[in-house]
Amino acid sequence: MTKIELTRSPFIKTALKSRYPQLTVFIVMLVGYIFAILAGLVGTPVGSHNFSIVFVWIAWWAILILVAVPFFGRGWCAVCPIPLPGEWLQRGAVLAPPEKKPKWLNRRWPRAFRNIWLQNISFLLLALFSSVLLTTPNITGIVLAAMLFAAIGLSIVFERRSFCRYLCPVGGFIGLYSQTAPLELRIKDKKVCAACEGKPCYNGSAEGYGCPWDVFPGGLTKNSYCGLCMECIRTCPFDNIAVNARPFSADLARPSARMDESFKAFIMLGSAMIYAGVLLGPWGTLKDAAYNVGTSSWFMYATAFLSIIFLVMPSFFALCMTRFENLNIFKKRFATLSTALIPLGLMFWVAFSLSFVLTNASYILASLSDPLGLGWNLFGTADAAWQPMLTSILAPGQTLALVGGLIWSGRTAQKAAKEAAVSAIPIIMYCFIVTLAMLWLLI
Amino acid sequence: MKRSELLARILILAGILLAVGAPLIFWTRTPLIHARMADTGGWNPDVLQAEVGKPLHLSFTSDDVVHGFAVGQLDMEAVDIEPGKVTDVTLTFDKPGTYTFYCTRWCGVNHWRMRGTIEVSGSAVDSGTTPTIPLYVTLGIDIDAPHEAPAIPENRPYAVRGQQLAASLDISKFSSPDFYRANSPYQVFEALASTDLPDFEKWDVVAYLWQSNTTADALTNGRELYAQNCAVCHGESGGGDGVFADDLAAAGEASMQSMNSSMDMAMQTPADFTDGKRMLGASPALLEGKILRGGMGTGMPMWGSIFTEAQIQDLIAYIYSFQFEYQK
Amino acid sequence: MRSFLFLLLLATAGLVVAFAPLPVPAVAPRERSFRIDAQQFAYSPSELAVNPGDTVTIQLVSTDVVHGLYIDGYDLAVEADPGQTATLTFTADKQGSFRFRCNVTCGAMHPFMIGKLTVGTNDWLVRSIGFAVIAVLGVLTLVKRN
Repeated sequence: MTKIELTRSPFIKTALKSRYPQLTVFIVMLVGYIFAILAGLVGTPVGSHNFSIVFVWIAWWAILILVAVPFFGRGWCAVCPIPLPGEWLQRGAVLAPPEKKPKWLNRRWPRAFRNIWLQNISFLLLALFSSVLLTTPNITGIVLAAMLFAAIGLSIVFERRSFCRYLCPVGGFIGLYSQTAPLELRIKDKKVCAACEGKPCYNGSAEGYGCPWDVFPGGLTKNSYCGLCMECIRTCPFDNIAVNARPFSADLARPSARMDESFKAFIMLGSAMIYAGVLLGPWGTLKDAAYNVGTSSWFMYATAFLSIIFLVMPSFFALCMTRFENLNIFKKRFATLSTALIPLGLMFWVAFSLSFVLTNASYILASLSDPLGLGWNLFGTADAAWQPMLTSILAPGQTLALVGGLIWSGRTAQKAAKEAAVSAIPIIMYCFIVTLAMLWLLI
Repeated sequence: MKRSELLARILILAGILLAVGAPLIFWTRTPLIHARMADTGGWNPDVLQAEVGKPLHLSFTSDDVVHGFAVGQLDMEAVDIEPGKVTDVTLTFDKPGTYTFYCTRWCGVNHWRMRGTIEVSGSAVDSGTTPTIPLYVTLGIDIDAPHEAPAIPENRPYAVRGQQLAASLDISKFSSPDFYRANSPYQVFEALASTDLPDFEKWDVVAYLWQSNTTADALTNGRELYAQNCAVCHGESGGGDGVFADDLAAAGEASMQSMNSSMDMAMQTPADFTDGKRMLGASPALLEGKILRGGMGTGMPMWGSIFTEAQIQDLIAYIYSFQFEYQK
Repeated sequence: MRSFLFLLLLATAGLVVAFAPLPVPAVAPRERSFRIDAQQFAYSPSELAVNPGDTVTIQLVSTDVVHGLYIDGYDLAVEADPGQTATLTFTADKQGSFRFRCNVTCGAMHPFMIGKLTVGTNDWLVRSIGFAVIAVLGVLTLVKRN
């Protein structure tokens, strides 16, 4: 299977290049996001009947993890409203670059933080408080507002989309998993880029802005850090950038050897398993521990959470690496081989999310008609009863996702192991065991 | 700037204003009465104003669990208040005064404390009735004093047998409602000494006298009231072992550790209605007193402003049925 | 050619795992009765096991606020106020593992108030493990061939 250049279609190319379709989506998303903040802060405190909980943690999450990430990689980033107000301020315009550019600080992001460790931490912070976050509207409202203001603040101090690239908790895992997606943005011809002077794709021009993701499009070899914002398609004077459909997990054929990304894989794999156990399991003490933030049982839960992710799972994985010559090779091999956990983690999250989404999707209907819990009935669905949906396909769907993920990660492990000239079997066994655990937790 | 840029900026600002303004405006303009578990605030607001004859429109929502709403002494049908949803109620009052509204679905051990008042002003259509003084006050009964019956039946007394026995006895003075209300079963048992019946038959007659002072409908009503209001603490089978019994006992012990007062008026295990010694020594007037006034710190709620007199009598009749076997 | 045969073998194994009837222990159905206490936000007991065909009675006792109990897969529900035990009786004719959950909003963690009912063996889990084993064998063998 080879790539299909989607931007060959004039319709698609115009739709992506023009700023108007994108702006329309941006406005809808931004209005929805701000409404979610307000709904969380002033609406009913009952999560299941508040727009912020229902539309963020059920509707948006479902679309993100079941559709956007597996099929469009960083597709959500392309329409996310969080960076917009800051970016518009930073650019001094909402559409094409203005004649007079505003003078902001435009500082370069500090070298020490040019990795995804901050995103690992921000995701973990949300994860440790997730029981409260997912169920309490005003907490969701505060967190959404905090992200919005952080993005605005960072846009004023730093260049480009620093929040998105280095801080956003969602971006951390979307970036990692986008390597498996069947969509990519790449240059067409390397020679054209080599001969290009000024590199407007990175530095901007009258047509558009330099890559807000601090990526040099000419050197893009994987999806992880490209947010599909389409600026480079607008600025490239040689029409050398294309959006392609491609086979799944093409990027994993050239696995990266970064520890920050490697630990992101463990964070996502581990947290999916912990959530499956704590939130979807029958063990009430675990749920109490996760919810009662600040108590000693919560500290034990948090310690266990972090230990599983940073100690237990990586240690067992390290045992799978049979021989290594020195520490550097160990680290490189560890990081390279752990890319096998990327498809597995994505499928773990798909399987986990299917459960609570199908169980609670009926709340979306009621929330559409009464988003604030004030007794409205805008579309006549305010009295829609809670009713789990498609329960008969849930277990088969989860098995398909998990076993599919196992096969996928097994194949990824083989390719990575082949490059490192080691055996893939221990890694495959590791994936098998964690898959069994996840099956037992979910089914 | 270009026109497209200006237009875009206007659209964006309009959208943001809508997103911020709509929730704020609608939230402040929708007067809702919020229901919360008593520990986290109860009713908010908890004092309402109304006028005689003018319909009072109320909108309720629950902020946490299932609650209910009813106004005391009006024998009104309760409405449920569900979390995140709005329930509308319209009330019209005939008489001025202070009414108590209360939660009707158990929402924690302090559910009964979840009450508020409606102050109704205006003049009454007819002259108001003076409030009646409870019988236990008139009779001078100390409802906090122990009331153990010195003797109790060995087996459960049967009202049916008592009815048959009573046919051949002159007990007219015992069967009047006034007599029933002012005397405990044990006192009536003692008063039956003039008859030459064996003890267990005397108890059967007492059971019959008790049953004759109520009706099947009243017992059914009493059972329902008991299930909805009392069973939580006193147990579904009356044994003082309801779901909150342990919490009350624990609260009492905890408070006992910090003060030296007697255990009588501290939180304690709810009364066991299957305990013959306790129940057969209590007159309906005493039980009425307990229900009306509550337990003064023992955890027993005061229901005076909630139940009508008829409801209380029905409840009392049902409570005695834990001791007596009534004809079905 | 050999790859094709091997894939065929895998597919057959997969079908067997998916559809072969699992041995069902011959246990006569009986009447089972459970008292489940419901509090914010857990059931006690939270895990029930019965045999296929059993007549199951669940007595739901709410110990703090109004709770419900809804059984996934069976689509049956019951609701209990504190002080008023509610009863649900049904025949466990569907085999497998079913979560039961609270269907009356009872506070913040209500969506995660979950228990598990297992009727007979959790055969879908057994089959899923079978699929996982086949998947691993397939992956391991295919690499050897390539």
